[in-house]
Amino acid sequence: MALLEIRNLNAGVGEKQILKDFSFDIEPGKVYAIMGPNGSGKSTLSNVIAGNPAYQVSGGQMFFKGKDLLSLKPDERANEGIFLGFQYPVEIDGVSYAQFLKQALTSKQKYLGEKPLDAVGYIKRLKVRAQALGVSDEMLKRSVNVGFSGGEKKRMETLQMAFLEPDFCILDEMDSGLDVDALKTVADGVNLMRSENRSFLLITHYERLLDLIEPDVIYIMVDGHIVDKGDKSLARKLEEKGYADYK
Amino acid sequence: MQTINKIISANEKKTEVLTAQSGNIDVVVYENAFYELYLLQNGQDLNIKIHLLGKNAKCDLKAVYLSTTNSNNTLKFDVEHSIQETYSQQIIKGVVSGYGKGVFEGIIRMPHGSQKCEGNQSHKALLLSENASVECVPELEIYADDVKCSHGSTVGNLDKQQLFYLNSRGIEEKTAKKMLIKAFLFSEMPDVFEGKIDEWMLLNE
Repeated sequence: MALLEIRNLNAGVGEKQILKDFSFDIEPGKVYAIMGPNGSGKSTLSNVIAGNPAYQVSGGQMFFKGKDLLSLKPDERANEGIFLGFQYPVEIDGVSYAQFLKQALTSKQKYLGEKPLDAVGYIKRLKVRAQALGVSDEMLKRSVNVGFSGGEKKRMETLQMAFLEPDFCILDEMDSGLDVDALKTVADGVNLMRSENRSFLLITHYERLLDLIEPDVIYIMVDGHIVDKGDKSLARKLEEKGYADYK
Repeated sequence: MQTINKIISANEKKTEVLTAQSGNIDVVVYENAFYELYLLQNGQDLNIKIHLLGKNAKCDLKAVYLSTTNSNNTLKFDVEHSIQETYSQQIIKGVVSGYGKGVFEGIIRMPHGSQKCEGNQSHKALLLSENASVECVPELEIYADDVKCSHGSTVGNLDKQQLFYLNSRGIEEKTAKKMLIKAFLFSEMPDVFEGKIDEWMLLNE
């Protein structure tokens, strides 16, 4: 069974229709990339899967592990195992990272009916992952994303993902605004998490990211739907010729 | 209406934590004295008058008001810099839900002779529902020409992007809202009222 199935999805913002009869499947354990020109609907797709109320779904279906996603709220989708790494992570002054991550984990354990981790277990789980990503204790004490550089914000998104251990990770333009070193840190974090049960969807404009995180499948998205599918060689072709052939 | 008089004697430093006060509070602060007030209101009308009467007298007022459908607040701060080189600071945070209303009137007076004084006032309110409202009336009455004085007021709603960000990490709406309300209240003042505010949020879910 596919991890995520999307069938004839129509969605947009207000009156504007962005996803048009969009369909695809995400199989467990695979890494997918979606490439496409600006305005093709890539970010809309990721927000709609995560349940951002700023986007409206006007038709179609989505199933995650067989459950009807459209009937689940964003927090329920997250606790079922969907993670959206934001293109522009949001700043929250007055909420520390440590507090935020603890609440997120507590909520997930409550949702799944799991026994909550004790304080020692929580700190251990956080510290191991923070160290692997070069995140200092000082950063964990600071307010969520306030005063963080672009690279630090993306590193913190990767930490949240590693900490919450989702089954399906959407990384929306993880590579935008990152220098080569920061990109490598984030990519290493993602590669460490690859497993046979976990899938990734990388949304990107550049082949560069796909050299560091090798995808199994590349989709090309233009004007709200998938127009081509292939392997790594497709990204190379795009890098040379652009999207002209698809228009 | 009842009036409570307080005197902060020369060189004294006094910190007070007050909740749910009504009526009038009149405070006189003498030379080199410091009056610090943490105030939590949840449905009362209160006037506070501060007289900074001695050189280097200071006051620091930090107030939170919580208004709901049946508990409106009216809070008036009147700070008078009666003499030169006196200093005041006011930070007021309001959270209004349901059909509640919050009124804040704040006046800073700097009469002739109050040179080198400094007075700052900041009022911020968070409206949790479409029917909640806030009225803010800041007033500066300045007759001296060598003073520093400022006031600012903002009124806003919970940030939808922040809410979605928390939701997208598995935190349910109710809990996420509480986190954002507390972050709003405690970003500029210590969380002396955390327990009482938790209680208020439980009762007003």
